Amino acid sequence: MPLVDKIRLALAVVVAKTTITIVRGLGLGAGSVLPGEIARRLHPGILPLLFQQVKLGSILIVGTNGKTTTALLLRSILENCGDRVVHNVTGANLINGLVTALLGNTNWIGQLKADRAILEVDENVLPLVLQECQPQFIVALNLFRDQLDRYGEVDTISQRWQKAIKPLPKDTIIILNADDPTLCYLGQKLPQKVLYFGLNEPELYLDKIPHAVDSIYCPNCGNLLDYQGVYLSHLGDYNCSNCNFFKSKPAFESKNYPQILIGVYNKYNTLAAGLVAREIGIKTKEIFETIKNFRAAFGRAEELTVAGKKVRILLSKNPVGMNETLRTVEKIQKTGDASVTLLVLNDRTPDGTDVSWIWDVDTEELVRSGGILIVSGDRVYDQALRLKYSRDNLNSDNFKLIIKEDLKEAIATALEKTPSEETLHILPTYSAMLEVRQILTGRKIL
Amino acid sequence: MELKIGWLYPNLMSTYGDRGNVICLQRRCQWRGIEVSIIRLDRQADPSQFNQVDLIVGGGAQDRQQEIVMRDLKGAKAEAFKNKIESGTPGVFTCGSPQLLGKYYEPALGQRIEGLGLLDLYSKHPGIDANRCIGNVVFELTAAKIARELSATLDAKPIVVGFENHGGRTYLGKVEPLGKVIKGYGNNGEDGTEGAFYCNAIATYSHGPLLPKNPFIADWLIKTALQEKYQEIISLTKLDDSLASFARDAMFRRLELASLRKTS
Repeated sequence: MPLVDKIRLALAVVVAKTTITIVRGLGLGAGSVLPGEIARRLHPGILPLLFQQVKLGSILIVGTNGKTTTALLLRSILENCGDRVVHNVTGANLINGLVTALLGNTNWIGQLKADRAILEVDENVLPLVLQECQPQFIVALNLFRDQLDRYGEVDTISQRWQKAIKPLPKDTIIILNADDPTLCYLGQKLPQKVLYFGLNEPELYLDKIPHAVDSIYCPNCGNLLDYQGVYLSHLGDYNCSNCNFFKSKPAFESKNYPQILIGVYNKYNTLAAGLVAREIGIKTKEIFETIKNFRAAFGRAEELTVAGKKVRILLSKNPVGMNETLRTVEKIQKTGDASVTLLVLNDRTPDGTDVSWIWDVDTEELVRSGGILIVSGDRVYDQALRLKYSRDNLNSDNFKLIIKEDLKEAIATALEKTPSEETLHILPTYSAMLEVRQILTGRKIL
Repeated sequence: MELKIGWLYPNLMSTYGDRGNVICLQRRCQWRGIEVSIIRLDRQADPSQFNQVDLIVGGGAQDRQQEIVMRDLKGAKAEAFKNKIESGTPGVFTCGSPQLLGKYYEPALGQRIEGLGLLDLYSKHPGIDANRCIGNVVFELTAAKIARELSATLDAKPIVVGFENHGGRTYLGKVEPLGKVIKGYGNNGEDGTEGAFYCNAIATYSHGPLLPKNPFIADWLIKTALQEKYQEIISLTKLDDSLASFARDAMFRRLELASLRKTS
């Protein structure tokens, strides 16, 4: 590095690190974005400079759902093998967040002390990152309809990814979900080494394809895909009878692979992390050991005890994710261990400003279960309307809806209504999850 | 009484919660004891199925899906659909579906997609890097027939609250606009028009979905459909729409349109 660059880098680092200290010291949050922004103003090329210093290479993780859980599992596996890992743990996945995370692991002159970096990257930001940086791995988990207001549509995103990945060095390893037709097709078009993960367990097929499905059409020719079955949303076993596009073979036999936490979702997250770890050269026995001992990331099936009541927070930020969390809640309600559910719907930038997605969620079963429903958040009345329109009959059903504009009141009411032997389930969007956690724990995480 | 709702390509045209419009119509019938059924007008559907429906609902699609729809909605099917609308069957087409009712749509990538030519309008995407028209939208319903009929039941101007999220811009020819934009982009962000109205068909970029927060439009559709079907004056039982009023007022408050508020 030329001396001028070194000095500028050091200056940017000092200012940014001071900012982190001040923000945290004043209790203004974790300072996970602002320092990166300041550092980039002082040195626009800071991201690649930091990137180059990661000793053994970087792993970028993209996808609509599961980034944080996959990153945390992979991080645990690597750390258990003695690696020093940098990770944007707070989920700040835009460029400023990546810079901040890397800065957090440098000394005061900008020397990075890390063997590997695991970076969760926003779908739309990936092409920008790839313009400046060369990762060792790119992991793509899935592409669901999420924040269409910001990003446009699934097809557009995968086209952008293809354009951005193609020029990367040939030894970049691309890890893709074979069960997602859009990603599988992307992989078949790339010149790099592509490895796939996916399920091969027909006994896990859903009875019917849920409504909130995006790509059941062939990404190659536009024909309807033939699905032998789906595991979750549009993830499944498929082929195209028109153009012969078919699912690439996954690297693992999923049936023989252990999984973290609960749910089909986490099967995918486990397989993705496990595949990267294998490619890095970690022994299967060590990978399985970490999988066995893994614990949830904040807000992702996280369990807390508040005022003597058990609370489970299930992040629900898009139709596919929310259908899965509802499936989990309904199952628990049937065993009698839960009857109160708090839904918090915000429409800020991290949530997506378009809340029409709640109408793609199948809330009918939750309403039929007859438990107490409490709603809150910026768009509390939109959520209330969705639940009202889930009712078959206005007179004879057992509909108990409580509307609380104020989130603190909503949480207090929910806790009060929850019998002591039961668990309160909270289903928040992303920014709502951060608020809920702050109210429950008294601490900010972002 | 019985109402048959035809749902256009539910698998292909349901990008932005537009199924909420179908749910809203279905529930408002059920809650009033009107028998209601949904007929899915998919690719497998026969043209004769179009003739059986009393009301048609269409939602938004991604560009690729829209292309598939346009390849399918041709010939006898397209004729049946056009005849239905032109003979007075009400319809509500939200989000991307007005584009396919028009003359053509030019997507950001790929070829121009020919539309049905039912509405005298065309749509153009200004390019993959152009801004999408995104945000909460409020407009006044001004199309003469529907505005007149609604003024008999509403005590104020019919104001629509929704959310728009479209890349394409729509330009009207000799078709009547549905409304006048108060907040938001509308058809193209330039001429202040929103949507189009033709026969008894409503076309609008506004989703959110459209009907749950604007129940008076849902009821106008149900009422018009039943009147066309049974050829008699229908009056619908009033439903409690206070939740919708709260949702609307919350948005008026946020957009600083306090004068439109109904609740305190």
